[in-house]
Amino acid sequence: MRMMARRTLAGGLAALALAGPATAVERVQVTGEMIDTWCYFSGVMGFPESVTGSAHHTCALWCAAGGIPVGLLADDGTVYMVLKWEGDAAVTGGDAILEVQSDRLVADGALHVRDGVNYLIVDRVVENLGLVNRSHEDFDVVPPFAIPEPQK
Amino acid sequence: MRALAILALFAAPALAQEGRFSAGSEAQSWSLTGEEPARFEARVVDTLCELTGDCPADCGGGARQLALLRAADGAIVPVLKNAQALFNGAVDDLLPYCGETVEVDGNLVGDDAANPFKVYHLQRIRGPGDAEFLPANRWTDAWAARNPEAAGEEGPWFRNDRRVQALIARDGHLGLGLEEDAAFKAYLFE
Repeated sequence: MRMMARRTLAGGLAALALAGPATAVERVQVTGEMIDTWCYFSGVMGFPESVTGSAHHTCALWCAAGGIPVGLLADDGTVYMVLKWEGDAAVTGGDAILEVQSDRLVADGALHVRDGVNYLIVDRVVENLGLVNRSHEDFDVVPPFAIPEPQK
Repeated sequence: MRALAILALFAAPALAQEGRFSAGSEAQSWSLTGEEPARFEARVVDTLCELTGDCPADCGGGARQLALLRAADGAIVPVLKNAQALFNGAVDDLLPYCGETVEVDGNLVGDDAANPFKVYHLQRIRGPGDAEFLPANRWTDAWAARNPEAAGEEGPWFRNDRRVQALIARDGHLGLGLEEDAAFKAYLFE
C-alpha cells in the first residue's frame, strides 16, 4: 500500500498566508492511513505492517486516547505527524483524532518540514474511506490481548 | 495467518546502540527499533507554535503536541512516549515545563528508510534548578483526575476509558463493524 503524497502548490498566496517564523510551508494533499506513530516507529509490537489497519485498530485507539501523537501514513511510507485536525489543535487525545484512527483518507493541509520530520496541519478532510486495511487477515490482532477473551 | 501474527510479535528489534547523546544516560532499554540512549538539554516547546508562530500562553494546556528543542543542535525532537508501558504519551510530563529548559533522559528511537529521523521515548526529566530527575510517569494519574468515575473501576485505564469503550461498542475491536467483529472473535477464540 505504498503510494503517493500529492503535493500541490495551491498558489503562492495560500502559502504566504500560512508561513510561520521557523519553517517554510507548502500546500499538500496526502492520501493514507491514520496511525499510531509510537508503535509504527518503535517496533514495540512488531514490524510496521502489523501495527496498521484492523489488526491494530484497538491499540491505535488506546494510543490516541493516551495522547501519543497520531500520524498520517502515506502510501509511499512517509509519515506525516498531525499537529492540527480540521482547524482544531487539540490533537493530543482529542475526540476528532480518536474518531478517525485507522481510517484511510485524503487530507488537504499545510506541510512543514523540520529536521527531516514532516508535520501536517490538516485543514480539510477531502474524503474518508473508513477502515479499509484488513490487516487482521494477515496478523490476527496486535497485541493479542487487545481483544479480551469472552467470559465463560 | 497465525504464523504472520507470531512473526510480527517477535520481529527482531535492532540492538541498542550508542549515539551522539548517549553519554551519561541511564535510560532503560526497551529493545526498540534503532534505540539509542539519549540524555540532553532542551527547551520544552509547543510544536505547532514553534513551526507556525501560533502560540497560546500555556503550550495549549495539554491539548497540543509538545516537543523538545535540543540545545546542542537546535533540532526539534518529537516526543512520542513517556516511561509508562500503558499506551501513554508524554504531554502530561512535559507540560509543567512549557518554555523552560530541562534535562531529559530516555531513548531516541526509529530506523525507517522513508522517515529518516528519530523520535524520543522520555523516561526521566529534570527541571531547572532541580537536584534530581523525576520519572516521566504522570499520564495515568492525570487520566484518573480527568476520568474519576472510570478510574475507580477495576482494570487498566485503556479498558475503562469511556471514549474508547464507545468506539469499540460502535465499530468493534477491528473497526470493521460488529458483525465482522463477531465472526472474527468466533475464529480467534475457537
